[in-house]
Amino acid sequence: MKRWGLVLALMFFSVLSMAPAQVRVTKGMNGVSSLDIAQFVGQSGGVPALFRQTLEADLKASGWFNLTGGGRAEFSLIGEAAMDGSSLKVRCEAYNVAGRERLLGKTYNTNASDREARRLAHKVADDIVLALTGRTGMAGARILLIGNRTGKKEVYLCDADGQNLRQLTRDNTISMSPKWSPDGRRFVYTSFRSQFPDLYLVNLETGDRKCIANYPGLNTGAAFSPDGSAVALILSKDGNPDLYIKDLAGGGLTRLTSTRRAAEASPAWSADGRQIVFVSDMKGTPQLYVIDRSGGEPRRLTSRGSQNVDPDWGANGQIAYCSYVGGSYQICVINPATLEFRQVTREDANYEDPSWAPDGRHIVCTRTVNYRSRIFMIDTLGGSLIPLLPETERGDWFAPNWSKQ
Amino acid sequence: MSRNLCFAILVVVLACAMCTTGCKRKGKTSATGGDNIGGINGPGGEQGLSVRPEGGLDVLAVKFENVLFDYDSAQVSEAQRAKIEAVADFLKKNARTGALIEGNCDERGSAEYNMSLGERRALAVRASLVGLGIDGAIIQTKSNGKEKPASMGHDEAAWSLNRRAEFVLFNQ
Repeated sequence: MKRWGLVLALMFFSVLSMAPAQVRVTKGMNGVSSLDIAQFVGQSGGVPALFRQTLEADLKASGWFNLTGGGRAEFSLIGEAAMDGSSLKVRCEAYNVAGRERLLGKTYNTNASDREARRLAHKVADDIVLALTGRTGMAGARILLIGNRTGKKEVYLCDADGQNLRQLTRDNTISMSPKWSPDGRRFVYTSFRSQFPDLYLVNLETGDRKCIANYPGLNTGAAFSPDGSAVALILSKDGNPDLYIKDLAGGGLTRLTSTRRAAEASPAWSADGRQIVFVSDMKGTPQLYVIDRSGGEPRRLTSRGSQNVDPDWGANGQIAYCSYVGGSYQICVINPATLEFRQVTREDANYEDPSWAPDGRHIVCTRTVNYRSRIFMIDTLGGSLIPLLPETERGDWFAPNWSKQ
Repeated sequence: MSRNLCFAILVVVLACAMCTTGCKRKGKTSATGGDNIGGINGPGGEQGLSVRPEGGLDVLAVKFENVLFDYDSAQVSEAQRAKIEAVADFLKKNARTGALIEGNCDERGSAEYNMSLGERRALAVRASLVGLGIDGAIIQTKSNGKEKPASMGHDEAAWSLNRRAEFVLFNQ
């Protein structure tokens, strides 16, 4: 009896997690709610206008709202963005119209600069999304990328709306796979600056960089554990590319796989830090497996297609990954409990390197057409596909990684 | 009870002694110079790969043919064996020579998985050299994944040339 209860519970939760997310009021198609922003006012120029433009763009990009300028709407935003001396002052209230319920009421203050106006707008957008939908927003999070516009692959950073793009490394060699720490203050990446592929940990605030793995052979694929204390990584020092965990404080190494004549790659942690999804070709072709962080027998997740690679495990419990299907690379999402999966991209290009946004709804990925690569955001619920950087941004872009907050 | 306890303590003490004598710490100088890495080297020479040579490689001018691989494969085919034998012969005739094997992939697919596949290719060639009597300790492996194509085309002619292992021989 108890076992059936568990099976039923599992089915119930897996259905829940596959269904469109619950919003507080769901009237529109695809869970889109109308949001009246006509009563959010402000000066028409300068920093207040930049704030309002950015806020509006973030609310639209979130996918939860259909913005209207008055008339009947489910939610309404009332407030003001104005200069006060050298400060930008923002007052913001959000209401559920039908219930006349105030869901958000806050004032914000910051230095009046373009950069601060953008940053604050992202924060306010995320506060509104949280208050109205109960979901984490994605506007304030940032994205690490690899770009080659200097002629070499370097690590870059930008905001979730593609603004504030800046180059972080100047190693003049090959950089790969940057991944955020959970607190958004550090990242790990692979670099050939020593002439061999080694792993580095960078503190974004101080700029300090430390090599965390330069063992003989391969050092790559580093991914932070959710508590920030360790990284999963791929090392070949013991004779084969295998999955390890390295404790960052003590340096202790734990080996999780020892597959002879097979290679592991691309580890990613579950949100609770208990499991790791990774790629292995132990059965011939690269497929996804899940293993307990304490080791043991890996459980295979994927069976369709000759390549299932680049997994990212979202806070929503779903694993986004890249699947070679019908002659092209497509982004899919799989439920690791039920093994149900679906494809979220169209076969009009090659889509690779997926990374979940903190909202558990959007995915950022590399889209390649005619061997030119750009970064795009996919809305896994609405289906929209939006470029991260403007077309005018030179070079190719790869390996995007979205911060957790 | 007391005898088991003494035995257990003895085992623990022995294990600790073995650990401290087994680990080597080696300073690392970057081949390209520049800032101090402060890296953490793992123990070298146990079963797996030996520690990399200090500093840059003193590369020999001798050139060997690349070993080529089938798509998604790290197996050394019969047709490629002669290329590895040529390297083995050279190493046997030239003492104090080391070999770096660089494994590469064509441009298709996951960059990270290709790092692992490239390494498997290098390791497969290394295993062939060991099978021909070469000491594994003088062989280094390196994967470039798909990051260093030899041929820049976007067709099978280029891809087949890029799925390769390259040899770099150096003075030890």
